[in-house]
Amino acid sequence: MTAAFLRTRAFRDIVVVLVLVFGVGSIAMLLAHVSPIVGFGALFDGAWGTKGEIAETLVQTTNLLFPALGIAIAFRAGLFNIGAEGQLVMGGFAAGWLGAQFPLPGYLAVPMVLAAGTLAGGVWGAIPGIMRARFKANEVIATLMLNVVAILLTTYLVTGPLQQGGANGSETGPLPKAAQLTHLFDTQLTWAFVLALVLAFVLRWVLQRTIFGYELRAAGDAPEAAKRAGIDLGRTALIAMSLSGAIAGLGGATIVAGALHRFNTGLSPGYGFIAIAVALVGNLDPLWIVVASVAFGMLQSGGIAMQAEAGVPKEVVSLIIGLVIIALAGRRVVASLRST
Amino acid sequence: MQAVDGVDLELQPGEIHALVGENGAGKSTLAAIAYGAVRSDDGSVEAVGVVGLVHQHFKLIERLRVWENVLLNREPRRGWAIDVDAARERVRALSASYGLAVDPDALVETLPVGIKQRVELLRELDREPSVLLLDEPTASLAPTEIASFFTTVGDLAKRGTAIMVVTHKLAEVIAYSQRVTVMRAGRVVASHLTSETSADEIAREMVGGEVPALAARASVATAPLLEVRGLSARSGTSVLDDATFEVRAGEIVGVAGIEGNGQTALSDALAGVAAFTGELVFAGTLLRASDTPASRLARGIRVIPQDRRHEALVLDWNVRDNVALGRQRTLGLAKYAGAAREVIERFDVRPPNPDAIVAALSGGNQQKIVVGRTLASSPKLVVAYQPTRGIDIGAAALVQSRLIEARNAGAGVLLISFELDEIFATADRVLVIANGKFVGSFDRAGIDRGRIGALMAGNA
Repeated sequence: MTAAFLRTRAFRDIVVVLVLVFGVGSIAMLLAHVSPIVGFGALFDGAWGTKGEIAETLVQTTNLLFPALGIAIAFRAGLFNIGAEGQLVMGGFAAGWLGAQFPLPGYLAVPMVLAAGTLAGGVWGAIPGIMRARFKANEVIATLMLNVVAILLTTYLVTGPLQQGGANGSETGPLPKAAQLTHLFDTQLTWAFVLALVLAFVLRWVLQRTIFGYELRAAGDAPEAAKRAGIDLGRTALIAMSLSGAIAGLGGATIVAGALHRFNTGLSPGYGFIAIAVALVGNLDPLWIVVASVAFGMLQSGGIAMQAEAGVPKEVVSLIIGLVIIALAGRRVVASLRST
Repeated sequence: MQAVDGVDLELQPGEIHALVGENGAGKSTLAAIAYGAVRSDDGSVEAVGVVGLVHQHFKLIERLRVWENVLLNREPRRGWAIDVDAARERVRALSASYGLAVDPDALVETLPVGIKQRVELLRELDREPSVLLLDEPTASLAPTEIASFFTTVGDLAKRGTAIMVVTHKLAEVIAYSQRVTVMRAGRVVASHLTSETSADEIAREMVGGEVPALAARASVATAPLLEVRGLSARSGTSVLDDATFEVRAGEIVGVAGIEGNGQTALSDALAGVAAFTGELVFAGTLLRASDTPASRLARGIRVIPQDRRHEALVLDWNVRDNVALGRQRTLGLAKYAGAAREVIERFDVRPPNPDAIVAALSGGNQQKIVVGRTLASSPKLVVAYQPTRGIDIGAAALVQSRLIEARNAGAGVLLISFELDEIFATADRVLVIANGKFVGSFDRAGIDRGRIGALMAGNA
C-alpha cells in the first residue's frame, strides 16, 4: 500500500463522515427520543456557546492535533502507524514522572517536561520503525500491540515501582508549578494550542519544501521507484516513525503539563485512535488536519453539553467517531495487511 | 475520450487478419469490444458462433493444473463433483486434435511461457470459437516458437476459424497474415491484402508519415568502463548465471533475449537492488553486492528500469518532481524546475508543463521523462532495460536516438531489450542471453539474425 492510496478518496471520505455524523447521529438521537435539531443544537451550543466552552473545544482540538500530525507523517511515508495512542501515553508518562521526580527551576522546567515526552514518544515510535527497517515487520501489528504495552506498562509503573510521593493510586506525583503550561485568556486553553498550530505549519513546510520531505513522500508514494533513486527506505521508515511517535509524545506531554498536572492512567480517552480519523479526514495534509481537528474537537467537547442539556447520552459521540474510524481506517488497514 | 471511433472491420473464416497500430491506436480496445468485455457506445459486433480471445498477458491461474485452467467453469460433472477423468481426457483429446502437446496434469506455474500460451489457446479452443482474437500473442515467444505458433494458428484458420492477430511486429504480419488492417488514433486508416503491401508502407500508415530516422552513429574511440566477470545474480524469479562481458565507454552493447531469461537479475544487480556474486569492476573500482543504489548513482551508473510505472516514476507527482528523482540531493530543490524544463524541451514532453501530473501523461511521454532525467545526469554507464516498451514509434525513435547520442558523447550503454529490431538498429555489439546465461556475442558487422534467434531460443 502506498501513501498515495491513503490520500485518494478524500472527497468521498468527507461525504462519508458527514453522513455518519448527521445521519447516524440523528438516528441515535431519535432512539433517545430527542429531536436531532435539539440534540445537534445542544452539541454546537455546548462547543461554541461561551468563552469557556470555546476554550474547551480548542483544548480537545489540541489534544487531537498533535497525534494526528504525527500519524500524518508516518502515513505520508507509507507507514500505517496506528500506535499514536501508545506513543502519546508514553510521552505523557515520561513528562509526568520526570517532571515530578526532577523538578527544575523556572524556565527550564517546561522545556524539560515537553522534551521528555517528545523523546519517550519518539522511542516508542522508533521501536516499530527499527522492526520495519531491520526485519520488514509489519508496522500495523507492531504499533497496535505497542499501544497495549504502553498502557499496561505505564499503569504498572505508576502503581508499582515508580510510585511517587503525593500520588494516590494510579498516578504520578503533582508537577511543580514551574513545569505547568500557562493558560491563555483566563481559560483552560494553554499555549500548547499555539505550539500545535505552529507545528502544523512547520510540518507542511518540511513535507513540501525540503529534500527530507521529498524523500519521505517518495518512499510513501512509490517505494520501489524511491529505492532505485537512492533513497534508503529503512532509514526513512525509522526517521518517519520516530518523528511520528515524537509528535504524539509531545501531545501527551502537553496534556500532562497543561491540564492534568500529573500523569494518570486516564490521560487519553483514545485521542490516538480518534486522531487516525482526523488525519485521514484531513487528507494527511497538516493544514487540513488543523481544520479536521477543530471539527472533531467540537464533537468531543460538545458531547458533554449535549448529554446535560438535551439528554442525549454522550456515548453517541463515541459511537459516531468509532464509525468514522471504521469507515476511513478499516478499509485501509485491511489493504495494508494484505499488501505485506 | 474515445479509444475506438467508427471502425468497420470484417473477418473472414479461414483467414489470418492482422490488426496493427501504435500503442493507444485502439487495437486492444477493439479486440475487447469484439470479445464483449468492453461495451461500445454505438455500432454493433456480429459474429457467427463463439468469439474467443487470448490475452497478451496470460490470464491463467498459476497454482492450478492445466486441465483445471482449460476447463475452468466448464468442468464436466458427475453429480456434484467434477469428473476429473473426463476432464483430463477432454483436454488430452483437444491438445491432440490441434497438435498442441501439453500434459493435462502439469501445474501451470511450472510451465515455460511457450507452453503456457498453448494452455491459454486450448482454453479458448475448448469453446469451439468461430472467431479467435489473439492480442500480441508472440510477445514472450522465441523466434522459433513464433514460427510453430503461427503454423498452429494457420491450421486453425484452414479448419474455418476466422482469426484476428493484434500485433505491433510487422515482420510477423508480412510473414503470416493474409489481410492487414492499420489503425491510428482510434480509426482504421488502411486495409490491405498482405500480399499487396510491405512492412515499410504499413509503418508509414501507422505513424501517419515518415518513420523518423535515428541519430547517426559517430565513430568514437572506446575505452574500458565496465568489466563483468562471473556475475551471478537473482532478483525475484529472475536468475543470471555466471555472466562475463564488458561494456566500453562509447559503445552500445545490446543484450538480446526473450523476456524472463535473467535480464531482470542483470539489470537489478547493476542498479544495486539485487544481491550478486562475481566481479563487477566499474571505472577501475570494484562494485560490491552490499552497495546501495545511491552509491551506484554517485558513480554515474544509471538504470532505466523496465517497469517505468512502478520502478521509475511517482505517478501521483508532477513532472518537475519526477525529473528530480534520483538527483534529488545533488540537484537541490531550487533547480528542480529548471531541470524539468530542460528535459521537457530536449525530449519534447507533451504537454510541456512541469506541473502536469505524470499519471495523466501517455506512456511515451512518461518514458521520455525517465530517459530524459537519466541522460541529463551525465551518466558514465546507462543500463536501458526495455527503454521503448509500449511507446509509440516516434517516441521510441527519439529515445533510441538520444541513447546513440549519449554513446557518441562517450557514455557506455547496456541496452537490454526483447525487441531484436531495436538492438540491431542501435547496438555496436550484441550479446545473447538465454536461460540466465550469456550464450553468444556478435559484432555489429557480423550480426546473424538466424543464429541469434536460435541462441535466444536456447539452441546452442
